[in-house]
Amino acid sequence: MLQRLVSLRHSAAIFFFFCLVPALLHALAGEVSQAQAAGNPGKNSGKKRVIVYNWSEYIPQSVLNDFTKETGIKVVYSTFESNEAMYARVKLLRGKGYDVVIPSSYFVDLLRRDKLLKELDHSKIPNLVHIDPKRLDQEYDPGNTYSIPYMWGALGLAYNSRHISEDAVARWADLLKPEFKGKIIFTDDLRDAMGLALRASGFSSNTKEVGELELAFDFLSKLKPSVRVFDVTAVKQALISEEAWIGPIWNGDYLVAKEENPALKYVFPREGALLWIDGFVIPAGAAHVDNAYTFINYMLRPDVAARCVREYKYSSPNLAAIKLLPDDLRGDPVLLPGDAELQNAEFTTVVGNALREYEKYWEQVKALR
Amino acid sequence: MPRARLVRFFSAGYLTLIYAFFYVPLFIVFCHSFNYSKYVSDWNGFSLRWYESLLSNTAILDAALNSLLVGVCAASLGTLTGTLTALAIKRYYFFGRKSLYVAVLMLTVLPDLVMGISLLIVFIALHMELGFFTLLLAHTTLCAPFVTLTVLARLAEFDEYLVEAARDLGASESRAFLHVLLPLTAPAVAAGWLLSFTLSMDDVLISTFTTGPTFEVLPIKIYSMVKLGIKPDINALSTIMFAMTLTLVLLAQAITRIRRK
Amino acid sequence: MPRSDAKAGSVFRAVCIKVTWLWLAAFAVVPVFALMLVSLLHKEHYEFFIPVLTLDNYRELLGPVFLTVFWDSTRLAALSTLVCLLVGYPFAYGIAKSPATWRPWLLLLVAIPFWTNSLIRTYALILIIGIHGMANKALIGLGLLSAPLEMLYTDFAVFIGLTYTFLPFMVLPLYASIEKLDAGLIDAAKDLGANSAEAFWHVTLPLTLPGIMAGCMLVFLPSFSCFYVPEILGGAKNMLLGTFIKNQFLVANNWPLGAAASFVLTLLLIIMAGAYRLAGVYVAGRERKDSPSHAPTPVSGDE
Repeated sequence: MLQRLVSLRHSAAIFFFFCLVPALLHALAGEVSQAQAAGNPGKNSGKKRVIVYNWSEYIPQSVLNDFTKETGIKVVYSTFESNEAMYARVKLLRGKGYDVVIPSSYFVDLLRRDKLLKELDHSKIPNLVHIDPKRLDQEYDPGNTYSIPYMWGALGLAYNSRHISEDAVARWADLLKPEFKGKIIFTDDLRDAMGLALRASGFSSNTKEVGELELAFDFLSKLKPSVRVFDVTAVKQALISEEAWIGPIWNGDYLVAKEENPALKYVFPREGALLWIDGFVIPAGAAHVDNAYTFINYMLRPDVAARCVREYKYSSPNLAAIKLLPDDLRGDPVLLPGDAELQNAEFTTVVGNALREYEKYWEQVKALR
Repeated sequence: MPRARLVRFFSAGYLTLIYAFFYVPLFIVFCHSFNYSKYVSDWNGFSLRWYESLLSNTAILDAALNSLLVGVCAASLGTLTGTLTALAIKRYYFFGRKSLYVAVLMLTVLPDLVMGISLLIVFIALHMELGFFTLLLAHTTLCAPFVTLTVLARLAEFDEYLVEAARDLGASESRAFLHVLLPLTAPAVAAGWLLSFTLSMDDVLISTFTTGPTFEVLPIKIYSMVKLGIKPDINALSTIMFAMTLTLVLLAQAITRIRRK
Repeated sequence: MPRSDAKAGSVFRAVCIKVTWLWLAAFAVVPVFALMLVSLLHKEHYEFFIPVLTLDNYRELLGPVFLTVFWDSTRLAALSTLVCLLVGYPFAYGIAKSPATWRPWLLLLVAIPFWTNSLIRTYALILIIGIHGMANKALIGLGLLSAPLEMLYTDFAVFIGLTYTFLPFMVLPLYASIEKLDAGLIDAAKDLGANSAEAFWHVTLPLTLPGIMAGCMLVFLPSFSCFYVPEILGGAKNMLLGTFIKNQFLVANNWPLGAAASFVLTLLLIIMAGAYRLAGVYVAGRERKDSPSHAPTPVSGDE
């Protein structure tokens, strides 16, 4: 009897715990969301925030921490794993929620067309003067009305020199060589994959011609049996661990991978590398616009930009930051490719309704045995 | 009997093998949290650097805290809803009872992907702001059906006449629940809560679709790292969280042990 | 069976029923109908969908791409369920036959790995079966291999990963049904002249059939739509159903097509769950004529 009484009181306690805890937490969360709602300047002098949406592994945590230390603005940092996922998300939220997003070139164009971006006030970003004019005023965003470059880079070919001789790899088409069968890591990014196949077949990587896409599809279907892995998982890891010997990879990723496996080498394929510029944009519905400007301007400060380059090894458009880099980095043609390396290279741009065709061909490639 | 001993030997060997299969990968995660090397391929010497870097990584820590918050809330709400549903289905006649039971079964087999997407469609249609609340609602929906089934299984086992007796003695329905049903179902309710908490902490897909910009949870963070290589900070965090849960469970075991004596 | 209705009208009863209705209507019925609605809409340009009714999405699902995807997923899920069953049955049997004081601890040991994020556990498998992973190093060290085996990014790796992730779902219901087994029945069969294999085939197996079916459901359903294990361990060479649907929503921004595929998947799962329930009723009816429980109880309630 006594035992039953004890267990009775016990379970009553459990029951109330189940009811009370959520109620309390609700109240708490309510307060938090109230603070969020009061995100306008004036009301929230105590708690300044900037909500950043970025690729993972793209801004060193120490840089974010220092930003908070210097400005008192807390960085709420969320990450995406592909441009497409980012675009879907920003669109879904109708441009609200995030204060700074870092999409790649042609996605700036897409977001702009959907009226999801804010026009930038360049006077609030004085550090813009450090940016290389060569990386400004591109087709995807004339006059940089909506985006400010953060990093840029190229998709080229990395290979393992322990297994592959240097003269065997010079072009995208070399991927079809029989000796690489089962040793290739291939990109899982729709536009990258189709783009390099188009370049290899002699076309622009932004074509809208179905006939050219068909030929690119032929290239990919010949390539598919040789592919050991599609890089939904880390490219770096497969090349470092020598699961794969060769594959398309961004130059920055390659440089980081090379630190772990020095046998890795890089070429900019003769048919032309695929280029991108990742830039800061402010979504149309951003709540903390001033903090967003502060953040962007901070990221363009030469010492900060140099720290980002040293950590992630992507090409910086920031001339003053490049001057701060150690000599070996500054002289590395993979980190800062010149005109020779970038011959025939092409930026990925918006293809409009042809995208559906790209998707269809790519799905077919993935469904092939 | 030597044959029986042989059988026992093989059975013990087989169990050990499968347990090894379960635990070796975990063990590797723990080891690599102390590995100096960044791209966990080889052992480059003992180091606590990932624990240090975890401490300064506010993004990961925030996400972990958010996960805990949602996990506890969703498990509790889900347990409450799920238990009440189990009681309603098991004990009362009412309109739509059978179809609701089918709906519960459907929810348990619905892939999280589909659940996340369909909830997102509803949230968007209702112009709800994605964030803590939408995530909480979604996770509650994820958890509750499992609680319902666990509690139903328990309710099927015991004697309905106990409740009848309590009611005959003049107890109201809610009192009968509190004094008779709840103590009897408590183990199932607790098991349901634990299961819910685990489900919520491990969910990537539903969270991906139903949370908002300011409320990132740990599994999403980890998933977005998969493409670029998981940071060793995460190994450190996993090790800490594992140690904490293990301690809690062992403590709970020890307490029940003592109370039984 | 429900019984307390003679005393209807209590507040508690009303609360129970209202909560049930509200919850299931709002979070099970409405979302599934919303999904169905979206699957009937039209997709254009960069919009997620536009409000024009069409059956095009279902027509597109009949194309060769989706059928391949569907077949690959079915095959993978069925095979991994089989692997889990073959590995899990002796394991569950071993636990159920161990000393009674050990059993709770042995079960706890099965559950513990779940507290570590499944993505991280999957990632850890790479370190074992990778080309320079522990398995290869061990085999070469023992002199069993001269060159490392390529295990990662193969079907083998996917099976290992799926087994690793879903084996506990198979073990727990199996354990529950084996533990209930009356040892006397097997002894009786043996007394009647059956050898061990015959006793297993004619007594143990039929009596544990509910556990087997529950376990198979619990493994088959999630592995059917699981996407991260084949992506991370299999190298994403074949597109599977989970990836296909996820891509429609997160990459291609084609909500109607993704919703149509989800809806087909949901229908299929409901049919399977229904078949499972019917089979359960059939087995229970054969077992004893008066089956008191109406719940198939696929989740074991005893911890």
